[in-house]
Amino acid sequence: MNNRKSLQTILEDLKLQESFRENIVHWHTIEAKPAKTDALPFVLHPKLVEALEKKGIDKLYTHQKEAFELVQKNKSIVAVTPTASGKTLCYNLPIIQSILTNPNNRALYIFPTKALAQDQKSEINEMIQSSEMSLNSYTYDGDTPANIRQKVRKAGHIVITNPDMLHSAILPHHTKWVSLFENLKYVVIDELHIYRGVFGSHVANVIRRLKRICQYYGSNPVFICTSATIANPLELAENLTEVSMELIDNNGAPSGTKHFLFYNPPIVNKPLNIRRSATLEARSLAANLLKNKLQTIIFARSRVRVEILLSYLQELVKNQLGPKSIRGYRGGYLPTERREIEKGLRNGEIYGVVSTNALELGVDIGQLQACIMTGYPGNIASVWQQAGRAGRRHGESLVILVASSNPLDQYIIQHPDYFFKKSPETARINPDNLIILVDHIKCAAFELPFKQEEQFGGLDTVEILEYLTEERVLFQNGDKWYWMNDSFPAHNISLRSASQENVIIIDQTNIAAVKVIGEMDRFSAMTLLHDEAIYLHQGNQFQVEKLDWEEKKAFVREVDVDYFTDANLAVQLKVLEVDKQRCVENVEMAYGDVTVQAMATIFKKIKFETHENIGSGPIHLPEEELHTSSAWISLEKDLKRIGQERLEQGLIGVAHTLKHIAPLHVMCDPQDVHVVPQLKASHNEKPTIFFYDRYPGGVGLSERIYTGLENIILQASKMVEQCQCETGCPSCIGTDVVNNEGKSDVLKLLALFSEVGNCHDIKG
Amino acid sequence: MTLKGKLNRFKSHMSHNEQSDKKAIDPEVNLPNQGRWEKEGVTPYFLDGEFCLIRKVKYPLSFKHGQYRLSDYLEAVRIWNESDLKHPLSTKGYKAEQLFFFDTETTGLGGGVGNSIFILGQASLIENEIVLTQHILPHPGAEIPLYYSFLNQVDYRTLVTYNGKSFDWPQVKTRHTLIRDHVPKLPEFGHFDLYHAAKRMWKHRLERMKLSVVEKEVLGVERIDDVPGFLAPMIYFDYVERKDPEGMIKILKHNEIDILSLITLYAHLSFQILEVDRNQTIQEKYEVGRWLTSLGEISSAQNIYMGIVNDDSHASVSSQIQLGYIFKKQKDFNQSLDYFIKAATKPVFSDLQIEACVEAAKILEHQNKDFRAAINYCDIAIDLIHQGFEHKKITISEIQKRKDRNHKKIHFLDKRKIHE
Repeated sequence: MNNRKSLQTILEDLKLQESFRENIVHWHTIEAKPAKTDALPFVLHPKLVEALEKKGIDKLYTHQKEAFELVQKNKSIVAVTPTASGKTLCYNLPIIQSILTNPNNRALYIFPTKALAQDQKSEINEMIQSSEMSLNSYTYDGDTPANIRQKVRKAGHIVITNPDMLHSAILPHHTKWVSLFENLKYVVIDELHIYRGVFGSHVANVIRRLKRICQYYGSNPVFICTSATIANPLELAENLTEVSMELIDNNGAPSGTKHFLFYNPPIVNKPLNIRRSATLEARSLAANLLKNKLQTIIFARSRVRVEILLSYLQELVKNQLGPKSIRGYRGGYLPTERREIEKGLRNGEIYGVVSTNALELGVDIGQLQACIMTGYPGNIASVWQQAGRAGRRHGESLVILVASSNPLDQYIIQHPDYFFKKSPETARINPDNLIILVDHIKCAAFELPFKQEEQFGGLDTVEILEYLTEERVLFQNGDKWYWMNDSFPAHNISLRSASQENVIIIDQTNIAAVKVIGEMDRFSAMTLLHDEAIYLHQGNQFQVEKLDWEEKKAFVREVDVDYFTDANLAVQLKVLEVDKQRCVENVEMAYGDVTVQAMATIFKKIKFETHENIGSGPIHLPEEELHTSSAWISLEKDLKRIGQERLEQGLIGVAHTLKHIAPLHVMCDPQDVHVVPQLKASHNEKPTIFFYDRYPGGVGLSERIYTGLENIILQASKMVEQCQCETGCPSCIGTDVVNNEGKSDVLKLLALFSEVGNCHDIKG
Repeated sequence: MTLKGKLNRFKSHMSHNEQSDKKAIDPEVNLPNQGRWEKEGVTPYFLDGEFCLIRKVKYPLSFKHGQYRLSDYLEAVRIWNESDLKHPLSTKGYKAEQLFFFDTETTGLGGGVGNSIFILGQASLIENEIVLTQHILPHPGAEIPLYYSFLNQVDYRTLVTYNGKSFDWPQVKTRHTLIRDHVPKLPEFGHFDLYHAAKRMWKHRLERMKLSVVEKEVLGVERIDDVPGFLAPMIYFDYVERKDPEGMIKILKHNEIDILSLITLYAHLSFQILEVDRNQTIQEKYEVGRWLTSLGEISSAQNIYMGIVNDDSHASVSSQIQLGYIFKKQKDFNQSLDYFIKAATKPVFSDLQIEACVEAAKILEHQNKDFRAAINYCDIAIDLIHQGFEHKKITISEIQKRKDRNHKKIHFLDKRKIHE
């Protein structure tokens, strides 16, 4: 095509174009950064020097050198490494060096996904082969053929796996891995920042089990972690591994110029403060880039958004580029489909990819020139990870963050300083969550009997062991507890989600060739795969014909309709026990255990272009029950003056605001914490806002919300105050508040809530 | 709230099975119900303050188990020693006293370190009697005396098992790794695994290859009042808690019959392979032939096939085809073609017929250069497939290709003839 424009030209055009310029709230240019390097270590094995030479490397970046030197001294490290900074050398160099020096040494690499493990194997093997080192590295996962498993166990110097495999296949069979565990010198944990929340809490326990087994076989490995930029890499690494670490954060890798644009869609309805949809804006921005054949990645917040954007874009460019050149990428796709897309991106056959955060991880897709985020991904670390997909190594690149109307997005987009100056999120885990802990103590007891007074991750175990003995899972004989059950505990415990069973999605469009096209966790399925739901897969629409809840199967058929579906979840809360309480005259704040009963109630059909509601229907699914921890804040009953209805509406508005502000402060994914308003909480009959952890037993989010409640409410007030709308809009109090006093009521309520600590009387 | 209180609240989120309010009994070094145990021939064995239980039962060689007597095992070993056949079940060079028939009972059905063995049962020939010894784990944690005593009593280089290669023995190794500092080392070992043998011999007639099925269908063993094996873990957990021997005694009997069946199964399999079983079916003979072929014992296999070739059964026609292959390999193409044609013209088993036609066509084309005859056999095969018969490995398109090629060759020859 002759009229194809380069990225520079497009940027110049954008600067001149009035309609575009108006919407740019902030244009941030991150200057190119030169490399900081250092000579190769003196002691480096000649084979390694040779292998590096063949890759054209004669110097190390400063962080690589530091990593090498610290690991050489048997120090555990965590290296903070942005995308494409050569992080793999941080562990490959010291580990290969050590194995070349002593071929008995072993290393275990843990990657969060199979795909990353495969990538890593190819990279190491390339290095090994280039200078003919006698060193074996293997991946060990569900795809490893049975006939080579034996070899991996006995002779693999470097075994590359994922936490799930470690949990369910390696640790429970540790006697088959004696030569690995006896000689385990290094454990590599890549993409450390992924191990937060529930998943991180599980993995921390898997590592406790790993260390317990190492100790049994007499090894004491050094841990090497690498992490994307988060606020507390050192703390996370130390919490996850329970060993003390050295932090390496002097990144010496160079980077190209990056243009980072904050884009706020224009207001289309002034009184209501409604902006054009982020999806539509992202679509036209992406189309402009794709038409010029600039490889672009578009991130969307949800699976549904991915599919909507994908169908828009495929339609738009199908004549210029062909439909196969733009693909979707998200959790529900099957692995082979994903591999094919990754490859297409690397070799340039695919120009555009629309993805959920699934592509945030270091899956190798080569360098893209532009990245568009449809909506703020929920945390700062994610933004940097996603932005890193554009211009991974050198050269100019473009990142556009398109804000949606939701309060958090509007807060971020109007406070660029918050984003660029504030340190990114803190990743937290709670390995001592009782349910997670007990699950892993069961696995640990299966692996090796527990001794009296044995600690697990520094915790006393005796009460849990006695409990499990009463439950006839363990048997106590003398001073030891033995596994005494015919089950295989790791098989019943999934590291990834609270609900253990996934729903399988079956396409029966073609009766003769019924096939499985994906799967989804049970909780999401309640709202996304109910009868009559429109499920989107690779841009195709499917209607759910039947959701068989017992059998965990959703039967779908391809359809062509102009709407998508959105389901409501009704929630009831019961306080079981109050653990902490701060009480003042008018406001009560507390933290404790609750029961949550959630039920999908109705779904709405929403038209694509206009987002208008064109129909609805009931959902008949059983209630799901959750025991978890919760923080709540209640007002005194005496609020009659604003009236029952307005109070209720006001609370809904307050909850809407808090739902967006709370995750910002405890630094978690928005879906990890739920916020529910109740006009009359069942335990104290007061107007109450509940915050609860999504995972059974809680992972500590509610507890931190409880500690910082005053601040959260203050921020929420500010956000609503600063919103440009008159009577409330989706960007502050949401659309469920219908009366005109909504906004002022919410502000009043927030003011009342924030009286906490001042002990004021609320009168007048 | 106490930790235990919380644990009880979260009960529904934790996935272990049924609950019970029974307290686990403190372990005792004194053997509860000692009298009842003694009646079953069970005595404790002590080592370093721990103990395991050992049960011994003796059987005279005249004892009949199903259609065989235990003495038939001795006969089998005797015949192996006179035979020169190289075979994985051959005990040439061994005395009957050297073999140990071995079977375990475990606390779980899958693998994994936490799956413990609670009965190690074995039987061997001692002074003209079959002596069956079962080592019993009285409670978890007593594995050192269990393995110490067991490993001192058996020669693990000559175990006879049923699927022991992939189940029992790896499990022994797993548990042994846990206590390897306390008990003798486990060497690599020879192993007679009857499961694979049984699968080769009878998968054509049995749907499941469980030992209990094979012993009933093949050895004529009737079990009376037997506890099914899958209940063993439950019964053991109950025993560990309540120390009531009754359930365990039933499991011991179950294990005992398993082991007796191993002995007669070994005898029966040996008689099959060595062709001394008069009741051997033609199909069984054929399976032995196939097995010997795969082991490279071609001349023995050939003899077996020759013996069953003059019959109209499926096995007999299959044997003709096998002989065709054997002679082809020996480059005796005439004999080979004879056998393939014989099978090709027997319109009883169409899949075999298709295969035989194609093989005959191959020899006719490449060796005899008789392209018209080759085409003729291709046509028969194609015709059969058109009639709806099929062969797992042969497609119509490949036969068609062969046919076309033969046509071309004829055409080419004709042309040359004209030129000449």
